[in-house]
Amino acid sequence: MAATFFGEVVKAPCRAGTEDEEEEEDRRETPEDREVRRQLMRKSREVRLLRRQTKTSLEVSLLEKYSCSKFIIAIGNNAVAFLSSFVMNSGIWEEVGCAKLWNEWCRTTDAVSLSPTEAFCVFYHLKSNPSVFLCQCSCYVAEDQQYQWLEKVFGSCPKKNMQVTILTSRHITDYKTSESTCSLPSPFLRALKTQNFKDPVCCSLLEQPNIVHDLPAAVLSYCQVWRIPAILYLCYTDIMKLDPITVEAFKPVLSSRSLKGLVKNIPQSTEMLKKLMVTNEIQSNIYT
Amino acid sequence: MASRYDRAITVFSPDGHLFQVEYAQEAVKKGSTAVGIRGTNIVVLGVEKKSVAKLQDERTVRKICALDDHVCMAFAGLTADARVVINRARVECQSHKLTVEDPVTVEYITRFIATLKQKYTQSNGRRPFGISALIVGFDDDGIPRLYQTDPSGTYHAWKANAIGRSAKTVREFLEKNYTEDAMANDNEAIKLAIRALLEVVQSGGKNIELAIIRRNQPLKMFSAKEIELQVTEIEKEKEEAEKKKSKKT
Repeated sequence: MAATFFGEVVKAPCRAGTEDEEEEEDRRETPEDREVRRQLMRKSREVRLLRRQTKTSLEVSLLEKYSCSKFIIAIGNNAVAFLSSFVMNSGIWEEVGCAKLWNEWCRTTDAVSLSPTEAFCVFYHLKSNPSVFLCQCSCYVAEDQQYQWLEKVFGSCPKKNMQVTILTSRHITDYKTSESTCSLPSPFLRALKTQNFKDPVCCSLLEQPNIVHDLPAAVLSYCQVWRIPAILYLCYTDIMKLDPITVEAFKPVLSSRSLKGLVKNIPQSTEMLKKLMVTNEIQSNIYT
Repeated sequence: MASRYDRAITVFSPDGHLFQVEYAQEAVKKGSTAVGIRGTNIVVLGVEKKSVAKLQDERTVRKICALDDHVCMAFAGLTADARVVINRARVECQSHKLTVEDPVTVEYITRFIATLKQKYTQSNGRRPFGISALIVGFDDDGIPRLYQTDPSGTYHAWKANAIGRSAKTVREFLEKNYTEDAMANDNEAIKLAIRALLEVVQSGGKNIELAIIRRNQPLKMFSAKEIELQVTEIEKEKEEAEKKKSKKT
Protein backbone atom coordinates (compact mmCIF):
# COMPACT_ATOMS: atom_id res chain seq x y z
CA MET A 1 0.00 0.00 0.00
CA ALA A 2 1.25 3.49 -0.72
CA ALA A 3 -0.07 6.96 -0.04
CA THR A 4 -0.08 9.40 -2.93
CA PHE A 5 0.43 13.14 -2.88
CA PHE A 6 -3.30 13.66 -2.39
CA GLY A 7 -3.56 11.23 0.50
CA GLU A 8 -5.34 8.49 -1.41
CA VAL A 9 -4.17 4.98 -0.57
CA VAL A 10 -3.41 2.75 -3.53
CA LYS A 11 -2.27 -0.82 -3.78
CA ALA A 12 1.32 -0.99 -4.86
CA PRO A 13 1.86 -3.60 -7.61
CA CYS A 14 3.69 -6.64 -6.26
CA ARG A 15 5.12 -9.49 -8.31
CA ALA A 16 5.15 -11.80 -5.31
CA GLY A 17 1.40 -12.17 -5.75
CA THR A 18 -1.44 -11.09 -3.54
CA GLU A 19 -2.06 -12.58 -0.10
CA ASP A 20 -4.42 -15.53 0.07
CA GLU A 21 -7.07 -13.81 2.17
CA GLU A 22 -7.51 -10.96 -0.24
CA GLU A 23 -7.73 -13.34 -3.19
CA GLU A 24 -10.63 -15.23 -1.60
CA GLU A 25 -12.54 -12.04 -0.99
CA ASP A 26 -12.16 -11.00 -4.60
CA ARG A 27 -13.31 -14.39 -5.84
CA ARG A 28 -16.63 -14.26 -4.08
CA GLU A 29 -19.16 -13.09 -6.64
CA THR A 30 -21.83 -10.63 -5.69
CA PRO A 31 -25.29 -10.93 -7.22
CA GLU A 32 -24.39 -7.93 -9.34
CA ASP A 33 -21.38 -9.75 -10.81
CA ARG A 34 -23.57 -12.72 -11.67
CA GLU A 35 -26.12 -10.50 -13.39
CA VAL A 36 -23.42 -8.77 -15.44
CA ARG A 37 -21.97 -12.13 -16.44
CA ARG A 38 -25.44 -13.34 -17.48
CA GLN A 39 -26.00 -10.23 -19.61
CA LEU A 40 -22.60 -10.62 -21.28
CA MET A 41 -23.26 -14.26 -22.11
CA ARG A 42 -26.52 -13.34 -23.79
CA LYS A 43 -24.78 -10.89 -26.06
CA SER A 44 -22.86 -12.85 -28.56
CA ARG A 45 -19.70 -11.40 -30.03
CA GLU A 46 -20.28 -13.16 -33.30
CA VAL A 47 -19.91 -11.22 -36.51
CA ARG A 48 -22.70 -12.09 -38.90
CA LEU A 49 -22.76 -11.22 -42.57
CA LEU A 50 -26.31 -10.89 -43.84
CA ARG A 51 -27.66 -10.88 -47.36
CA ARG A 52 -29.59 -7.76 -48.22
CA GLN A 53 -32.96 -8.94 -49.38
CA THR A 54 -33.55 -12.00 -47.25
CA LYS A 55 -31.59 -10.93 -44.16
CA THR A 56 -30.22 -14.45 -43.92
CA SER A 57 -26.61 -15.16 -43.23
CA LEU A 58 -24.24 -15.68 -46.11
CA GLU A 59 -22.93 -19.24 -46.30
CA VAL A 60 -19.60 -18.22 -47.78
CA SER A 61 -17.53 -15.10 -47.38
CA LEU A 62 -18.57 -12.01 -49.33
CA LEU A 63 -15.62 -11.97 -51.71
CA GLU A 64 -15.90 -15.69 -52.36
CA LYS A 65 -19.49 -15.21 -53.41
CA TYR A 66 -18.87 -12.19 -55.61
CA SER A 67 -15.88 -11.49 -57.82
CA CYS A 68 -14.12 -8.28 -56.90
CA SER A 69 -11.52 -6.21 -58.71
CA LYS A 70 -11.65 -3.12 -56.49
CA PHE A 71 -12.58 -2.96 -52.81
CA ILE A 72 -12.86 0.39 -51.10
CA ILE A 73 -13.37 0.34 -47.33
CA ALA A 74 -14.26 3.39 -45.25
CA ILE A 75 -13.81 2.97 -41.51
CA GLY A 76 -14.99 5.67 -39.13
CA ASN A 77 -17.51 8.47 -39.52
CA ASN A 78 -15.30 10.92 -41.43
CA ALA A 79 -14.19 8.37 -44.01
CA VAL A 80 -17.79 7.14 -44.37
CA ALA A 81 -19.02 10.70 -44.94
CA PHE A 82 -16.30 11.21 -47.54
CA LEU A 83 -17.36 8.17 -49.57
CA SER A 84 -21.05 9.03 -49.16
CA SER A 85 -20.58 12.56 -50.48
CA PHE A 86 -17.89 12.12 -53.11
CA VAL A 87 -18.17 8.58 -54.42
CA MET A 88 -21.61 7.20 -53.75
CA ASN A 89 -23.51 10.06 -55.32
CA SER A 90 -21.95 9.60 -58.75
CA GLY A 91 -23.22 6.18 -59.72
CA ILE A 92 -25.78 3.66 -58.62
CA TRP A 93 -24.58 1.54 -55.77
CA GLU A 94 -26.54 -1.50 -54.76
CA GLU A 95 -26.43 -2.86 -51.24
CA VAL A 96 -25.29 -6.48 -51.23
CA GLY A 97 -25.15 -7.17 -47.55
CA CYS A 98 -24.28 -5.93 -44.12
CA ALA A 99 -22.21 -7.09 -41.16
CA LYS A 100 -23.98 -7.23 -37.83
CA LEU A 101 -21.97 -7.29 -34.64
CA TRP A 102 -22.13 -6.22 -31.03
CA ASN A 103 -19.45 -5.12 -28.61
CA GLU A 104 -19.14 -2.81 -25.62
CA TRP A 105 -18.66 0.21 -27.87
CA CYS A 106 -22.04 -0.20 -29.55
CA ARG A 107 -24.52 2.43 -28.52
CA THR A 108 -27.58 0.22 -28.87
CA THR A 109 -28.53 -2.11 -26.05
CA ASP A 110 -30.36 -4.65 -28.15
CA ALA A 111 -27.90 -6.95 -29.86
CA VAL A 112 -30.53 -9.06 -31.52
CA SER A 113 -32.33 -6.61 -33.73
CA LEU A 114 -29.94 -3.92 -34.89
CA SER A 115 -31.49 -2.12 -37.82
CA PRO A 116 -29.42 -1.39 -40.94
CA THR A 117 -29.98 2.33 -40.51
CA GLU A 118 -27.89 2.26 -37.38
CA ALA A 119 -24.19 2.68 -37.63
CA PHE A 120 -22.32 -0.37 -38.74
CA CYS A 121 -20.95 -2.19 -41.78
CA VAL A 122 -22.77 -2.06 -45.09
CA PHE A 123 -21.42 -3.47 -48.35
CA TYR A 124 -22.29 -2.10 -51.78
CA HIS A 125 -21.32 -2.82 -55.35
CA LEU A 126 -21.51 -0.54 -58.35
CA LYS A 127 -24.43 -1.49 -60.58
CA SER A 128 -22.60 -0.51 -63.77
CA ASN A 129 -19.51 -2.50 -62.73
CA PRO A 130 -20.38 -5.15 -60.15
CA SER A 131 -16.78 -6.06 -59.42
CA VAL A 132 -16.28 -2.71 -57.67
CA PHE A 133 -17.14 -3.05 -53.99
CA LEU A 134 -17.50 -0.47 -51.28
CA CYS A 135 -17.79 -0.95 -47.53
CA GLN A 136 -19.08 1.73 -45.16
CA CYS A 137 -18.06 0.73 -41.66
CA SER A 138 -19.02 3.23 -39.00
CA CYS A 139 -19.01 0.92 -36.00
CA TYR A 140 -16.06 -0.16 -33.93
CA VAL A 141 -14.92 -3.72 -34.58
CA ALA A 142 -13.31 -5.03 -31.39
CA GLU A 143 -9.98 -6.92 -31.42
CA ASP A 144 -11.59 -10.30 -30.90
CA GLN A 145 -14.03 -9.64 -33.75
CA GLN A 146 -11.57 -8.43 -36.36
CA TYR A 147 -10.49 -11.92 -37.41
CA GLN A 148 -14.11 -12.99 -37.77
CA TRP A 149 -14.84 -9.88 -39.84
CA LEU A 150 -11.92 -10.64 -42.15
CA GLU A 151 -12.96 -14.24 -42.55
CA LYS A 152 -16.57 -13.37 -43.28
CA VAL A 153 -15.62 -10.67 -45.77
CA PHE A 154 -12.43 -11.88 -47.44
CA GLY A 155 -12.63 -15.59 -46.74
CA SER A 156 -9.80 -17.97 -45.95
CA CYS A 157 -8.41 -18.05 -49.48
CA PRO A 158 -8.85 -14.68 -51.14
CA LYS A 159 -8.39 -14.02 -54.87
CA LYS A 160 -5.32 -11.98 -55.55
CA ASN A 161 -6.44 -9.99 -58.57
CA MET A 162 -8.11 -7.26 -56.58
CA GLN A 163 -6.94 -3.98 -55.12
CA VAL A 164 -7.99 -2.79 -51.68
CA THR A 165 -8.17 0.84 -50.59
CA ILE A 166 -8.89 1.65 -46.95
CA LEU A 167 -9.80 5.11 -45.66
CA THR A 168 -9.88 6.02 -41.99
CA SER A 169 -9.13 8.83 -39.58
CA ARG A 170 -7.31 8.95 -36.23
CA HIS A 171 -6.74 11.60 -33.62
CA ILE A 172 -3.60 13.60 -34.21
CA THR A 173 -2.19 12.57 -30.83
CA ASP A 174 -1.70 9.11 -32.36
CA TYR A 175 0.80 10.53 -34.84
CA LYS A 176 4.26 9.80 -33.48
CA THR A 177 6.41 12.87 -33.76
CA SER A 178 8.78 14.87 -31.63
CA GLU A 179 6.94 18.09 -32.57
CA SER A 180 4.12 19.44 -30.46
CA THR A 181 0.67 18.62 -31.87
CA CYS A 182 -0.09 22.36 -31.94
CA SER A 183 2.43 22.89 -34.73
CA LEU A 184 1.13 20.11 -37.00
CA PRO A 185 -1.00 21.21 -39.97
CA SER A 186 -3.99 19.08 -39.09
CA PRO A 187 -5.85 17.53 -40.71
CA PHE A 188 -3.33 15.79 -42.95
CA LEU A 189 -3.13 12.55 -44.88
CA ARG A 190 -0.60 9.72 -44.61
CA ALA A 191 -0.48 6.38 -46.41
CA LEU A 192 0.66 2.86 -45.56
CA LYS A 193 0.73 0.18 -48.25
CA THR A 194 1.41 -3.52 -48.70
CA GLN A 195 4.40 -4.79 -50.61
CA ASN A 196 2.36 -5.68 -53.70
CA PHE A 197 0.85 -2.22 -54.10
CA LYS A 198 2.64 -0.62 -57.01
CA ASP A 199 0.44 2.33 -57.98
CA PRO A 200 1.45 5.91 -57.17
CA VAL A 201 0.46 7.09 -53.70
CA CYS A 202 -1.54 10.31 -53.29
CA CYS A 203 0.25 11.59 -50.22
CA SER A 204 3.40 10.94 -48.19
CA LEU A 205 3.89 7.57 -46.57
CA LEU A 206 3.47 7.25 -42.82
CA GLU A 207 6.81 7.89 -41.19
CA GLN A 208 8.47 5.58 -38.68
CA PRO A 209 7.24 4.39 -36.22
CA ASN A 210 4.49 3.63 -38.72
CA ILE A 211 1.97 2.03 -36.43
CA VAL A 212 -1.73 1.78 -37.24
CA HIS A 213 -4.49 0.26 -35.14
CA ASP A 214 -7.82 -1.57 -35.17
CA LEU A 215 -9.70 -2.80 -38.23
CA PRO A 216 -7.63 -0.86 -40.82
CA ALA A 217 -4.50 -2.53 -39.43
CA ALA A 218 -6.17 -5.93 -39.48
CA VAL A 219 -7.21 -5.53 -43.13
CA LEU A 220 -3.78 -4.27 -44.16
CA SER A 221 -2.03 -7.15 -42.36
CA TYR A 222 -4.38 -9.62 -44.01
CA CYS A 223 -3.64 -8.16 -47.45
CA GLN A 224 0.11 -8.20 -46.79
CA VAL A 225 0.00 -11.87 -45.77
CA TRP A 226 -2.07 -12.85 -48.82
CA ARG A 227 -0.05 -10.59 -51.15
CA ILE A 228 -3.05 -8.47 -52.12
CA PRO A 229 -2.14 -4.93 -53.24
CA ALA A 230 -3.67 -2.67 -50.61
CA ILE A 231 -3.24 0.87 -49.39
CA LEU A 232 -4.47 2.62 -46.27
CA TYR A 233 -5.06 6.38 -46.37
CA LEU A 234 -5.05 7.67 -42.83
CA CYS A 235 -6.24 11.18 -42.00
CA TYR A 236 -4.85 12.61 -38.77
CA THR A 237 -7.19 15.20 -37.34
CA ASP A 238 -7.75 17.03 -34.10
CA ILE A 239 -11.52 16.69 -34.33
CA MET A 240 -12.85 13.21 -33.85
CA LYS A 241 -16.50 13.88 -34.46
CA LEU A 242 -17.92 14.25 -37.98
CA ASP A 243 -16.17 17.32 -39.34
CA PRO A 244 -16.25 18.76 -42.88
CA ILE A 245 -12.64 19.90 -42.84
CA THR A 246 -11.45 16.40 -41.93
CA VAL A 247 -13.67 14.88 -44.61
CA GLU A 248 -12.31 17.27 -47.23
CA ALA A 249 -8.76 16.33 -46.22
CA PHE A 250 -9.39 13.00 -47.98
CA LYS A 251 -9.81 14.79 -51.35
CA PRO A 252 -6.30 13.95 -52.67
CA VAL A 253 -7.41 10.30 -52.68
CA LEU A 254 -9.88 11.14 -55.47
CA SER A 255 -6.95 11.30 -57.88
CA SER A 256 -5.83 7.75 -57.06
CA ARG A 257 -6.31 5.03 -59.67
CA SER A 258 -8.88 3.17 -57.60
CA LEU A 259 -11.19 6.17 -57.10
CA LYS A 260 -10.57 8.13 -60.29
CA GLY A 261 -13.27 6.59 -62.43
CA LEU A 262 -15.81 6.71 -59.63
CA VAL A 263 -16.03 10.44 -58.97
CA LYS A 264 -18.00 12.68 -61.27
CA ASN A 265 -19.56 15.70 -59.68
CA ILE A 266 -17.41 17.47 -57.09
CA PRO A 267 -19.51 20.64 -56.45
CA GLN A 268 -22.55 18.46 -55.87
CA SER A 269 -20.48 16.37 -53.49
CA THR A 270 -19.63 19.43 -51.40
CA GLU A 271 -23.35 20.23 -51.18
CA MET A 272 -24.08 16.67 -50.08
CA LEU A 273 -21.41 16.95 -47.42
CA LYS A 274 -23.00 20.12 -46.05
CA LYS A 275 -26.35 18.33 -45.79
CA LEU A 276 -24.71 15.40 -43.97
CA MET A 277 -23.21 17.79 -41.44
CA VAL A 278 -26.54 19.39 -40.67
CA THR A 279 -28.28 16.09 -40.08
CA ASN A 280 -25.45 14.76 -37.96
CA GLU A 281 -24.86 17.64 -35.60
CA ILE A 282 -25.03 16.56 -31.99
CA GLN A 283 -25.90 19.21 -29.44
CA SER A 284 -23.43 19.70 -26.63
CA ASN A 285 -23.15 22.65 -24.32
CA ILE A 286 -19.85 21.74 -22.74
CA TYR A 287 -17.69 23.51 -25.31
CA THR A 288 -18.38 26.88 -26.91
CA MET B 1 5.15 7.52 -20.37
CA ALA B 2 2.69 10.37 -20.29
CA SER B 3 0.26 8.44 -18.11
CA ARG B 4 2.49 8.61 -15.07
CA TYR B 5 2.88 12.37 -15.17
CA ASP B 6 -0.47 13.60 -16.36
CA ARG B 7 -2.61 12.91 -13.32
CA ALA B 8 -1.50 15.72 -11.09
CA ILE B 9 -1.30 19.27 -12.33
CA THR B 10 1.62 20.07 -10.11
CA VAL B 11 3.91 17.37 -11.42
CA PHE B 12 6.43 18.01 -14.19
CA SER B 13 7.33 15.12 -16.48
CA PRO B 14 11.06 14.31 -16.85
CA ASP B 15 11.22 16.22 -20.11
CA GLY B 16 9.60 19.30 -18.66
CA HIS B 17 5.98 18.92 -19.74
CA LEU B 18 2.97 19.90 -17.68
CA PHE B 19 0.60 17.48 -19.35
CA GLN B 20 -2.58 18.81 -17.78
CA VAL B 21 -1.87 22.24 -19.24
CA GLU B 22 -1.24 20.72 -22.67
CA TYR B 23 -4.44 18.70 -22.42
CA ALA B 24 -6.29 21.89 -21.47
CA GLN B 25 -5.08 23.33 -24.78
CA GLU B 26 -6.74 20.38 -26.52
CA ALA B 27 -10.00 21.31 -24.79
CA VAL B 28 -9.70 24.77 -26.34
CA LYS B 29 -9.61 23.20 -29.79
CA LYS B 30 -13.01 21.68 -29.14
CA GLY B 31 -14.62 25.11 -29.01
CA SER B 32 -15.72 26.83 -32.21
CA THR B 33 -13.44 29.34 -33.92
CA ALA B 34 -12.99 32.92 -32.74
CA VAL B 35 -10.95 35.53 -34.62
CA GLY B 36 -9.70 38.90 -33.43
CA ILE B 37 -8.33 41.73 -35.60
CA ARG B 38 -6.69 44.97 -34.56
CA GLY B 39 -7.20 47.75 -37.06
CA THR B 40 -5.86 51.27 -36.85
CA ASN B 41 -9.14 52.73 -35.58
CA ILE B 42 -11.16 49.64 -34.82
CA VAL B 43 -10.94 46.26 -33.14
CA VAL B 44 -13.01 43.37 -34.43
CA LEU B 45 -14.05 40.08 -32.83
CA GLY B 46 -15.70 37.45 -34.99
CA VAL B 47 -16.89 34.04 -33.83
CA GLU B 48 -18.44 30.96 -35.30
CA LYS B 49 -21.82 30.72 -33.67
CA LYS B 50 -22.59 27.33 -32.22
CA SER B 51 -25.79 25.91 -33.62
CA VAL B 52 -28.48 26.33 -31.01
CA ALA B 53 -31.02 23.62 -30.20
CA LYS B 54 -34.59 24.41 -31.24
CA LEU B 55 -35.86 25.02 -27.75
CA GLN B 56 -32.77 26.84 -26.51
CA ASP B 57 -32.76 30.60 -25.98
CA GLU B 58 -30.10 31.96 -28.32
CA ARG B 59 -29.19 34.83 -26.06
CA THR B 60 -27.71 32.51 -23.46
CA VAL B 61 -25.21 31.00 -25.90
CA ARG B 62 -22.76 33.85 -26.30
CA LYS B 63 -19.11 33.68 -27.20
CA ILE B 64 -18.48 37.41 -27.19
CA CYS B 65 -18.85 39.14 -23.82
CA ALA B 66 -18.23 42.67 -22.68
CA LEU B 67 -15.94 42.96 -19.68
CA ASP B 68 -16.42 46.72 -19.42
CA ASP B 69 -17.65 49.52 -21.71
CA HIS B 70 -14.37 49.66 -23.59
CA VAL B 71 -13.14 46.05 -23.36
CA CYS B 72 -14.66 42.85 -24.63
CA MET B 73 -13.55 39.29 -25.09
CA ALA B 74 -14.28 36.17 -27.07
CA PHE B 75 -13.34 32.71 -25.81
CA ALA B 76 -13.02 29.16 -27.06
CA GLY B 77 -13.20 26.04 -24.90
CA LEU B 78 -15.16 24.96 -21.85
CA THR B 79 -18.27 27.10 -21.47
CA ALA B 80 -18.46 26.85 -17.69
CA ASP B 81 -14.80 27.78 -17.21
CA ALA B 82 -15.34 30.82 -19.42
CA ARG B 83 -18.28 31.95 -17.32
CA VAL B 84 -16.16 31.87 -14.16
CA VAL B 85 -13.27 33.77 -15.76
CA ILE B 86 -15.58 36.39 -17.27
CA ASN B 87 -17.34 37.00 -13.97
CA ARG B 88 -14.04 37.44 -12.14
CA ALA B 89 -12.78 39.80 -14.85
CA ARG B 90 -15.95 41.89 -14.76
CA VAL B 91 -15.75 42.30 -11.01
CA GLU B 92 -12.09 43.26 -11.31
CA CYS B 93 -12.91 45.91 -13.91
CA GLN B 94 -15.41 47.59 -11.59
CA SER B 95 -13.24 47.22 -8.53
CA HIS B 96 -10.37 48.89 -10.39
CA LYS B 97 -12.62 51.73 -11.52
CA LEU B 98 -13.84 52.37 -7.99
CA THR B 99 -10.42 52.11 -6.43
CA VAL B 100 -8.28 54.18 -8.79
CA GLU B 101 -11.11 56.08 -10.54
CA ASP B 102 -9.82 55.00 -13.95
CA PRO B 103 -11.11 52.29 -16.26
CA VAL B 104 -8.80 49.30 -16.66
CA THR B 105 -6.37 49.19 -19.54
CA VAL B 106 -6.76 46.22 -21.86
CA GLU B 107 -3.34 45.00 -20.83
CA TYR B 108 -4.23 45.17 -17.14
CA ILE B 109 -7.33 43.06 -17.42
CA THR B 110 -5.55 40.62 -19.73
CA ARG B 111 -2.78 40.28 -17.16
CA PHE B 112 -5.39 39.73 -14.46
CA ILE B 113 -7.03 36.93 -16.44
CA ALA B 114 -3.67 35.39 -17.32
CA THR B 115 -2.52 35.49 -13.70
CA LEU B 116 -5.75 33.84 -12.62
CA LYS B 117 -5.22 31.09 -15.17
CA GLN B 118 -1.61 30.60 -14.15
CA LYS B 119 -2.60 30.20 -10.48
CA TYR B 120 -4.69 27.23 -11.49
CA THR B 121 -1.70 25.56 -13.13
CA GLN B 122 0.23 25.63 -9.88
CA SER B 123 -2.46 24.72 -7.38
CA ASN B 124 -2.95 21.48 -5.59
CA GLY B 125 -6.19 19.74 -6.52
CA ARG B 126 -7.35 22.23 -9.17
CA ARG B 127 -7.22 21.78 -12.90
CA PRO B 128 -6.33 24.54 -15.40
CA PHE B 129 -9.07 26.58 -17.07
CA GLY B 130 -9.87 25.00 -20.42
CA ILE B 131 -10.28 28.24 -22.35
CA SER B 132 -8.29 30.61 -24.50
CA ALA B 133 -9.48 34.20 -24.75
CA LEU B 134 -9.13 37.04 -27.24
CA ILE B 135 -9.41 40.37 -25.43
CA VAL B 136 -9.88 43.57 -27.41
CA GLY B 137 -10.47 47.20 -26.58
CA PHE B 138 -9.18 50.75 -26.64
CA ASP B 139 -7.14 52.30 -23.87
CA ASP B 140 -7.52 55.88 -22.70
CA ASP B 141 -4.64 56.86 -24.99
CA GLY B 142 -6.80 55.82 -27.96
CA ILE B 143 -4.58 52.93 -29.02
CA PRO B 144 -6.41 49.73 -30.07
CA ARG B 145 -5.29 46.49 -28.42
CA LEU B 146 -5.72 42.78 -29.02
CA TYR B 147 -4.43 40.20 -26.57
CA GLN B 148 -4.66 36.45 -26.46
CA THR B 149 -4.47 34.29 -23.33
CA ASP B 150 -4.23 30.50 -23.12
CA PRO B 151 -4.72 27.86 -20.40
CA SER B 152 -1.10 28.04 -19.30
CA GLY B 153 -1.55 31.65 -18.22
CA THR B 154 0.59 33.28 -20.91
CA TYR B 155 -0.63 36.33 -22.75
CA HIS B 156 0.62 38.08 -25.85
CA ALA B 157 -0.39 41.07 -27.93
CA TRP B 158 -1.36 40.32 -31.51
CA LYS B 159 -2.27 42.21 -34.68
CA ALA B 160 -4.64 39.43 -35.61
CA ASN B 161 -5.19 35.94 -34.22
CA ALA B 162 -7.60 33.05 -34.04
CA ILE B 163 -8.43 30.46 -31.37
CA GLY B 164 -10.54 27.32 -31.18
CA ARG B 165 -11.28 24.75 -33.85
CA SER B 166 -9.27 25.17 -37.08
CA ALA B 167 -7.41 28.11 -35.56
CA LYS B 168 -4.31 27.19 -37.54
CA THR B 169 -6.11 27.46 -40.88
CA VAL B 170 -7.56 30.83 -39.94
CA ARG B 171 -4.24 32.11 -38.65
CA GLU B 172 -2.53 31.15 -41.91
CA PHE B 173 -5.25 32.99 -43.82
CA LEU B 174 -4.71 36.07 -41.65
CA GLU B 175 -0.94 35.91 -42.15
CA LYS B 176 -1.47 35.95 -45.89
CA ASN B 177 -4.09 38.66 -45.99
CA TYR B 178 -3.41 41.07 -43.13
CA THR B 179 -1.80 44.33 -44.26
CA GLU B 180 -1.30 47.41 -42.08
CA ASP B 181 -2.46 49.69 -44.91
CA ALA B 182 -5.74 47.84 -45.39
CA MET B 183 -6.38 47.89 -41.63
CA ALA B 184 -6.48 51.67 -41.68
CA ASN B 185 -9.91 51.20 -43.24
CA ASP B 186 -12.49 49.99 -40.69
CA ASN B 187 -14.58 48.19 -43.26
CA GLU B 188 -11.57 46.26 -44.52
CA ALA B 189 -10.84 45.05 -40.98
CA ILE B 190 -14.43 43.85 -40.61
CA LYS B 191 -14.31 42.13 -43.99
CA LEU B 192 -11.01 40.43 -43.13
CA ALA B 193 -12.53 38.96 -39.96
CA ILE B 194 -15.54 37.63 -41.88
CA ARG B 195 -13.42 36.27 -44.73
CA ALA B 196 -11.16 34.50 -42.22
CA LEU B 197 -14.17 32.87 -40.56
CA LEU B 198 -15.72 31.88 -43.88
CA GLU B 199 -12.63 29.75 -44.51
CA VAL B 200 -13.74 27.39 -41.77
CA VAL B 201 -17.41 28.05 -41.10
CA GLN B 202 -19.53 25.73 -43.15
CA SER B 203 -22.91 27.39 -43.44
CA GLY B 204 -21.77 30.89 -44.34
CA GLY B 205 -22.91 34.15 -42.75
CA LYS B 206 -25.76 32.61 -40.76
CA ASN B 207 -23.31 31.10 -38.32
CA ILE B 208 -21.12 34.13 -37.75
CA GLU B 209 -21.36 36.63 -34.93
CA LEU B 210 -19.40 39.88 -35.05
CA ALA B 211 -18.59 42.64 -32.56
CA ILE B 212 -16.58 45.82 -33.07
CA ILE B 213 -15.29 48.63 -30.89
CA ARG B 214 -14.38 51.94 -32.49
CA ARG B 215 -12.32 54.58 -30.73
CA ASN B 216 -14.42 56.39 -28.07
CA GLN B 217 -17.48 54.37 -28.97
CA PRO B 218 -19.16 51.54 -27.10
CA LEU B 219 -19.20 47.90 -28.17
CA LYS B 220 -21.39 47.24 -31.19
CA MET B 221 -22.76 43.77 -31.99
CA PHE B 222 -23.63 43.28 -35.64
CA SER B 223 -27.11 42.09 -36.47
CA ALA B 224 -27.63 39.08 -38.71
CA LYS B 225 -28.68 41.43 -41.55
CA GLU B 226 -25.54 43.50 -41.32
CA ILE B 227 -23.41 40.37 -41.41
CA GLU B 228 -25.33 39.08 -44.43
CA LEU B 229 -24.67 42.37 -46.21
CA GLN B 230 -20.96 42.05 -45.58
CA VAL B 231 -20.95 38.42 -46.70
CA THR B 232 -22.76 39.33 -49.92
CA GLU B 233 -20.22 42.07 -50.60
CA ILE B 234 -17.35 39.65 -49.97
CA GLU B 235 -18.87 37.07 -52.31
CA LYS B 236 -19.28 39.74 -55.00
CA GLU B 237 -15.65 40.75 -54.63
CA LYS B 238 -14.60 37.10 -54.86
CA GLU B 239 -16.58 36.63 -58.07
CA GLU B 240 -15.11 39.74 -59.61
CA ALA B 241 -11.61 38.64 -58.67
CA GLU B 242 -12.25 35.24 -60.24
CA LYS B 243 -13.62 36.82 -63.42
CA LYS B 244 -10.51 38.95 -63.70
CA LYS B 245 -8.34 35.87 -63.26
CA SER B 246 -10.15 33.92 -65.97
CA LYS B 247 -9.98 36.92 -68.31
CA LYS B 248 -6.22 37.08 -67.85
CA THR B 249 -5.84 33.38 -68.66
